[in-house]
Amino acid sequence: MTGTESLALAPALDALRVNIRLSLDCFDLGVDLTTAKQVTGIFGISGAGKTSLLEAICGLRRQAQGRISLGQDVWLDTDSRTFIKPSQRHIGYVPQDGLLFPHKDVRQNLLAGSKRALQNGHALHETFDIVTHILELQPLLNRDVTTLSGGERQRVALGRAICSGPRLLLLDEPFASLDLTLRRKLLPFLRRLRTEFHIPMLFVSHDPIEVQALCDDLIVLKDGAIIAQGDPRAVLTETQIFPQAEQEGFENILPCRLLDGNGSTSRVRLGEGEGDQACTVELVTLRSEARPGDTMLAGIPANDIMLATKRPEGLSARNVLPARITELRSVGSVDLVTAEISPDLPPLTVEVTEKSFVDLGLQVGGEVFLVIKATSCRLYESGLSAR
Amino acid sequence: MSPEIWSVILLTLQVALVSTLLVMLPATVLGYVLARYEFWGKSVVSSIVGLPLVLPPTAVGFLLLRLFAVDGPLGRENLGIDFNILLNWKGAVIATATMSLPLVARTAKATFEGINPRLEMMAQTLGHSRLTTFFQYSLPMARRGLLAAVILGFTRAMGEFGATVTIAGNIPGRTQTVAGAIFSAQQVGDIGKADFLMLIAITVGFLAIMSTELLSRGRTLHGMAR
Repeated sequence: MTGTESLALAPALDALRVNIRLSLDCFDLGVDLTTAKQVTGIFGISGAGKTSLLEAICGLRRQAQGRISLGQDVWLDTDSRTFIKPSQRHIGYVPQDGLLFPHKDVRQNLLAGSKRALQNGHALHETFDIVTHILELQPLLNRDVTTLSGGERQRVALGRAICSGPRLLLLDEPFASLDLTLRRKLLPFLRRLRTEFHIPMLFVSHDPIEVQALCDDLIVLKDGAIIAQGDPRAVLTETQIFPQAEQEGFENILPCRLLDGNGSTSRVRLGEGEGDQACTVELVTLRSEARPGDTMLAGIPANDIMLATKRPEGLSARNVLPARITELRSVGSVDLVTAEISPDLPPLTVEVTEKSFVDLGLQVGGEVFLVIKATSCRLYESGLSAR
Repeated sequence: MSPEIWSVILLTLQVALVSTLLVMLPATVLGYVLARYEFWGKSVVSSIVGLPLVLPPTAVGFLLLRLFAVDGPLGRENLGIDFNILLNWKGAVIATATMSLPLVARTAKATFEGINPRLEMMAQTLGHSRLTTFFQYSLPMARRGLLAAVILGFTRAMGEFGATVTIAGNIPGRTQTVAGAIFSAQQVGDIGKADFLMLIAITVGFLAIMSTELLSRGRTLHGMAR
């Protein structure tokens, strides 16, 4: 089953509605959100109330007041004194610290929620096979969980949640405790799970790259309140949010497919389409070890893109892409230019100083050239190779 | 070794074993409740449970004697049942159980406190009820600490003297345990017998404490491998 097929056959998702209040140590969490997207990101710095929100949805915070429902099922309704126990909510929860059961081996951990999955008529064996395959857990199945590395532990925690046949997945910064390299390596696993299982997901993260790579909808939480919601790229580049996003490492994230490699560089074709639907924009990047045809993600930092109003010549930069400006926005001391390089691709965000903004005379609708060095393009392999 | 000493050792083991079996379940549940739940009067309950640790054992024995006396709250006249525990081995079991319960409950409590409660929450989100979570997750995760608690309780029961002698007496062949036999032997000047029983007590005690040390060290090593 390929990703596109499973998406085409997928039924509509149940809407998750959360309207709760919960007193925390430093502030009150007051959240009112509705989402029916497959992956909804929750973005915000540590201490914004993200974990408390997820725990309240799980039913682990009995003090939470208000209403929580998924589709027709009401999990919490203070007015009608409804409280569904955590065990009856059918949620797959993946906490930051994994919380693997130390008295069970990897296989037993993965099957810890199997009883419920089977009661629900879930195709457990099939799920178990897909999960162990995608998360590459086969060689670990008989290991003692205390001997696993951080990345392995989080993959098991993720697999365990999916094998419990959940109606909703809650991922609480599943990779936050890992170093950046490992975090990027795990991103593809999540993208594959996203494609393979049609389970709605709340994904808490303070990593703008993860958020853009995975989420269809983004909610920004600050001091216990929602301050923005919408398309991830648009939300992250909003005036009040971009400085924080940039501090955490904002990059433009574009899906792409590896074409070929040549010496120290590789060529990728941007976009997800194949054959006739393929977008024609290509990018020269640093050498990738992936196989030609593999899909991956390209990351380009907003401040690593130069703007030119005329096609520049005699440059060392390997990529010069014609684009059209779709939006201009001032964010503190810098200006953000949003430029579209193809109707099939998400637009790119470019950071320029106010001075160059004025000097270049940039306007919405104006034609520009984006200049990008091959060394500024990072590739995140998504592991969705033909298998 | 004389058959008399054998009967003392056998009775001691019998009393300690029965009292440990009696105490195991309530002490574990008590330890879990004290470790996990907040309720009104918790510190009072906790203090009462710990009381036998600090009271003179003879005071505990005397309290039991009053409770189980014919006209006591748990005696024949009030309950209409005669537990028939005074001056026999069952009385010794009641006394040792009372004295070892606090030790087992407190060790169990410390063990459960050492287990991340979020692991139990995780088990619940995976579809397990509180009861299933307790039996399939809390208990197995606490097994080393609980085993250590039971060993300590068993050893405490083997060495109990003051409460036992008050309620069950120190009757050779009927209620005399190792602790009582050492006392009697020393009183009549049978130094050889007292020496022998003392060595047995030291050996059993040493093995018990060492096994609990090994259990807790195994747990630490286990934890460090993460």
